[in-house]
Amino acid sequence: MSAGVFAIHAKPTRQTALMLSWFLFAAGISLYFYTSAARHRENPEDRVTPTIAQMAHGMHDAVLRPAEDDEPLPDGASFLETVRHSMLWKDTRATGLRFFYSMALLFPAVLVGLHMGLFPYVGAFLLRFVLFFDKIIALSLLPILFIAFGIDELSKIMLIVIGVTPTILLDTFNLTRAVPGEQVVKAFTLGASDFDVAYRVVLKQIWPRVLNSIRLNLKAIMLFLFAGEMIASTDGLAYRIALLRRHMGMDVIIPYVLWVALLLFLVDFSMRWINRKLHPWFHEA
Amino acid sequence: MLRIFSILLAMTGLLLAETPGGAKPSFTVGWSVYAGWTPYHYLMQSGIMRKWADKYGITIKIQRFDYAPSLDAFVAKNIDACTMTNMEALDMPAASGVPTTAVIIGDYSNGNDALLVRNGLQLKDLPGKKLLLVQKTVSEYLLDRAMALNGMRDRIKQVRLINTSDSDIATAFLSDASASATVTWKPLVSQILKQKGITSLFNSSQIPGEILDLTVVRTEVLNRPDGSGKRFAKALAGAWYEMMARMSAPGPEADKVLTAIAGGSQDTLASYKEQLSTTKMFYTPQSAVEFGASPSLKEKMALVRQFCFDHGLLGSNTKSVDDVGIGYPDGTSQGKPDRIRLRFELSYMKMAAEGKL
Repeated sequence: MSAGVFAIHAKPTRQTALMLSWFLFAAGISLYFYTSAARHRENPEDRVTPTIAQMAHGMHDAVLRPAEDDEPLPDGASFLETVRHSMLWKDTRATGLRFFYSMALLFPAVLVGLHMGLFPYVGAFLLRFVLFFDKIIALSLLPILFIAFGIDELSKIMLIVIGVTPTILLDTFNLTRAVPGEQVVKAFTLGASDFDVAYRVVLKQIWPRVLNSIRLNLKAIMLFLFAGEMIASTDGLAYRIALLRRHMGMDVIIPYVLWVALLLFLVDFSMRWINRKLHPWFHEA
Repeated sequence: MLRIFSILLAMTGLLLAETPGGAKPSFTVGWSVYAGWTPYHYLMQSGIMRKWADKYGITIKIQRFDYAPSLDAFVAKNIDACTMTNMEALDMPAASGVPTTAVIIGDYSNGNDALLVRNGLQLKDLPGKKLLLVQKTVSEYLLDRAMALNGMRDRIKQVRLINTSDSDIATAFLSDASASATVTWKPLVSQILKQKGITSLFNSSQIPGEILDLTVVRTEVLNRPDGSGKRFAKALAGAWYEMMARMSAPGPEADKVLTAIAGGSQDTLASYKEQLSTTKMFYTPQSAVEFGASPSLKEKMALVRQFCFDHGLLGSNTKSVDDVGIGYPDGTSQGKPDRIRLRFELSYMKMAAEGKL
């Protein structure tokens, strides 16, 4: 059989593979600019599909002009000073802080999941409830969250925690269960205590997979965070997008969305990198 | 492979060819839930709209949206007519280069929008306090006017505004005692006021005629060379005022109509009547024309457009408030006459008043 283009055994050259991998990007971008140009020919003031110049201008203002609600800067402020007072910096900072708080709150969930999987009493106590709670759509509980945690930072972080924790718990639980029982028995025969088994045998080998599962939940975390910021807030990337939508500020919204994508990509990338450095023996994903 | 491609191509071709040839011209009106706009639900359900569309040889579809998406759809030219306030007509379609004409002035908010506070606070106490509202909308406009009318415009920046989605603002305000004030609209206002210790400090009846509820049509649709756009506007006006006559008719008939309208937003007759009590409906075309021709409309629009410009709602590229011009029925304009983007058109309401539709 000749090596057809669509065969499993096909071997694209490096160049072909490179071209193919960028093809959809190129197609998407050119489709956008084609539409944008067509819309601007018809209506030069169109705001739905801004041109690259408009987006550059919008972004320039977002990075280099003080935020609307900020005090005007003194003349001759340094470049760094200007950026630190800009809309983009303030929004990114606010969203970033919320993101890291909620990430920090997710890590204890790993330990709870581990205990659920190993210790029968903990498992009996928590498993059924977590399984039930996992199916609750956190967003629909908002009024209760507002009553319990107010409308400030805490309710936004809790929205993320409530939305994502059950997934992490159950995932860790399943990973713990997948560790072969023989290993646990062996560890005991070698004189390990309960906690030695939990932390030095089981946790150690599920850790890379757990990190991976947190990494795959980044998008869920971001979705909840954006939902929270759009519902009630005074700053943040999603707050800005919600405000700009009110007058079709697509010239800033599109660069903002790309900026969020870039940040998420970087977090994802660094988590993968850390995982590889910490667990060089682990080869998956 | 080739065959799949050709099928795909054929399908895209079908999707692109939207207009079926030879059929009656078809138009779509978008509306969203609000006391002054819910009648559109009844217009469709009762067949009044179909009757008028048939009379003018066109097809009219009526579609319900959430408010913000309805504006997006109008700006993206997916629908031909839409219900919106004067402020949004100016800062969404008009400022996005989609020339827009208001063909029906339906009502103005006469208490529907209100500034509510906890624990008997006064306006002068607001600086430094948390206030929930949907920013950059008529809610912020109302707050701006309330402060300005009480000589505290310069302190408005000290109020801590929290942008809150309208779907959650009632629960958010009621359940968080650290939020001292909110600006929102009915029926949310009525819902919040039921709670003890909450009072209304300022409402839109103190700025009558500044928050107008319009039915707008894209100017390019209105000016279609085949005249179908004008027939569309005539059918809209005809149907609208037949509806208004039914709503305001004396006797139990009107209650039946109002119940049906209220049903359009899953509301009850009592609640709908309560909302209407703070909505100044122009039930007759004469009253709407009179309002549209009065000089006070210009004064009010001057306030609104200045607010929009100050808050950057006309877009970051709009360097002057005059770049988005407003045209009035008497031929005068605010802003650059060669850049009229929002036009108030009375002729269709006049025809309705004179019984010429």
